[in-house]
Amino acid sequence: MTSEAEKILIVDDDRDFVEALSAFLEAHNYIVLKAHDGREGLKLAKMQRPDLIIMDIIMNERTEGFFTVQEIRRTAELETVPIFILSSLYSQAPDFGIPPNSSWLAHDEFLSKPVNMPDLLEKVQRRMAERQRNAEPLVGRKAET
Amino acid sequence: MKIRKLPKDKLDFFASVVQQFGEVHAPVEQDGKYVFKRLSRWSEARLDYPRTILPPKKYVLPQRETLFRYREGEGYVPCTEGLDKRVILFGVHACDIYALNILDQVFSGKYDDPYYQTRRKNVAIIGIDCWPDEHCFCRSMRADFVDKGFDLFLGELGDHYLTFVGTALGDDMVLATGPLFQDVSQEDIDEYKRRSSGKRQGFKLHVEIRDLPEIFEMEYRSEIWDELGDKCLSCGSCSMVCPTCYCYDVVDDTQLGSREGSRKRSWDSCLFATHALVAGGENFRKGRASRIKYRFYHKQRGFVAEYGRPSCVGCGRCISACPVKIDIAEVINQLRGVQNAPCR
Repeated sequence: MTSEAEKILIVDDDRDFVEALSAFLEAHNYIVLKAHDGREGLKLAKMQRPDLIIMDIIMNERTEGFFTVQEIRRTAELETVPIFILSSLYSQAPDFGIPPNSSWLAHDEFLSKPVNMPDLLEKVQRRMAERQRNAEPLVGRKAET
Repeated sequence: MKIRKLPKDKLDFFASVVQQFGEVHAPVEQDGKYVFKRLSRWSEARLDYPRTILPPKKYVLPQRETLFRYREGEGYVPCTEGLDKRVILFGVHACDIYALNILDQVFSGKYDDPYYQTRRKNVAIIGIDCWPDEHCFCRSMRADFVDKGFDLFLGELGDHYLTFVGTALGDDMVLATGPLFQDVSQEDIDEYKRRSSGKRQGFKLHVEIRDLPEIFEMEYRSEIWDELGDKCLSCGSCSMVCPTCYCYDVVDDTQLGSREGSRKRSWDSCLFATHALVAGGENFRKGRASRIKYRFYHKQRGFVAEYGRPSCVGCGRCISACPVKIDIAEVINQLRGVQNAPCR
């Protein structure tokens, strides 16, 4: 069971995909925010402070997601928000050739489209649980033995 | 120097990946002109720009900055916020890189400026080839080509950029984006040389600088200075847009009776009426003619004596910014008594 307060921002220019994914996530008690390009996504992220962001790469331009992720990471209040990349970049631009290494992409998960929904949900739930654990105050936590 | 080849249609990928080394700033169109600005998406970058309004100088010597704050009992606290921000300046022309090399000499030689030096260390330069317009005379000023001062330089090669690796950081950028690069062939080198030669022929504006210090010595009392003084508005636009003008003013921002304050510096111009005003009310360069003459002499004569070359790089910014159309190349050619000197 997930908390109602947990918000997920989807940034993707494929409106049908956004609708399908948001229906799926809402069915699992997440609040879903939707944006259809990088700028709108960044604006919503700053305003709404989501608990997790699902980001496409190829939108109005083929590197839009890369730049948006960097903008998010350079925004103080969004530095640590988990970012899942959901993209068909590697099938659409096979000559890109650089693996989605977190050292340059600053993301938390990379999932290729078409995405396996149960797999995505499991990863989202795990990340949300981690985030909640890390947010708990140290006082009152049981010392590890 | 390592040389590789980057397909132009992969430049967006390259820029995306090198963001790991810092914020990517590049020329962006603004009201029909161009400014270096942080990119929020790749399509904002305009790498075919003629020149930016302000040069990259603004990244290493900001228009305004607070150097330190002071408070009674606490002493001086340097303001270091933002100094270590890593920036990648994408698409810097050779003349502007040359200008940064000149500023390095000024701020890192006899008088070390830690603010400048820290910023400079954190600004990576990716240079790019350009094509001269009617105001460019960098070839005359020997600043159309640079062999240092950049991390990477993208040379024009049709569908590709011939990529010169200038530093270890540049090499790291190439390594991080390895699959995008290709090996360079002899045909590529021949093609690059052919294009470079074509660019040399593209300059419309020429000045001859070889014996310029002597010409300036001889023409110290020329009427040209008075004519320029009559024309000049002392607005300082030429200094503000100049990639090598480095004069600054320093003021203490404090209140009477206050026990704290801050020291600030901001760009200044030798064209401003108060530039040579000192305590007691004496002004060593009251007239506009003496001020514009001083600017020319410092750039083309004084700097040569101090650093071995003029501080002008021929970027053409002062020509395009001057509201009364004072043209530095025209003035030099006038002093020489020629119309448009051949380019050597």
